[in-house]
Amino acid sequence: MIFVTGPLFSGKADYARTLCPEDKLLLNAHELADGKRDPAALADALAARYAVVTAAEVGGGVVPVDPVQRSRREAAGRLSCLLAARADTVVRVFCGIPTAIKGELP
Amino acid sequence: MFTLIAGGAASGKSRYAEDLILRTSDAPRVYIATLEPFDGECRERIARHRAMRADKGFRTVERYRDLQRVDVPVGCAALLEDVGNLTANELYSPGGAGEDTVNAVVRGVEALLVKCRTLVAVSNDTLSGGADYEGDTDRFLRTLGQINRALAARADNVAEIVCGVAVYHKGREPY
Repeated sequence: MIFVTGPLFSGKADYARTLCPEDKLLLNAHELADGKRDPAALADALAARYAVVTAAEVGGGVVPVDPVQRSRREAAGRLSCLLAARADTVVRVFCGIPTAIKGELP
Repeated sequence: MFTLIAGGAASGKSRYAEDLILRTSDAPRVYIATLEPFDGECRERIARHRAMRADKGFRTVERYRDLQRVDVPVGCAALLEDVGNLTANELYSPGGAGEDTVNAVVRGVEALLVKCRTLVAVSNDTLSGGADYEGDTDRFLRTLGQINRALAARADNVAEIVCGVAVYHKGREPY
């Protein structure tokens, strides 16, 4: 599995679409993380089902005051780590430019 | 030569961008300022940046929107600071481009590229601070993201500044 991350609106989806057909692509995995009892099992399932998974980096900036946002952000960050650990390749997209931060660019 | 510099708040991107211009040849140096002095905090920021540039030989040109109409000498080395302010001004000011903001900013930069020998544009990484945005903030982030990508595609070099250190995602340090 190839894991694609990067800031919001940095071009992750456009890049990911060049890598695999739509049915093997999962966009915005950070939205799935919230409230999952077993994030490792979720990461296993996603890695088995999809060829390419994208998730936004959402951990920058100040810690949100709102506890719901705070826990959502935590969960998203942890899921991204679990996905990156399972990925052969991790690509970070910055201003539309992909850089391999684990493995090699496909 | 067009170099796009992006980074978080207080990452040292302005200083790095100024130093890049200083290392270019002796072309006339122009600083294109986009921050409109709305309040005390803006004026303080402007004063800090002016002091930082004081001995560096820049002529300051203020341009809050409609970058296409900026008046700079042909062959100059220009520093555009910054793309985030310009985007916000175009999106939200009464005389701004509104829905046409992406085009207005990108065409403005293209117009600069025709005139300048060297262009360094400073942009902002406001996009790693979470995904829980809506309304005007979401619109701003989405627009700035689109502009950053369009400028990066046109740039010879793209650097992210992390704690004052330049990480090049495209090209290399030009000077």
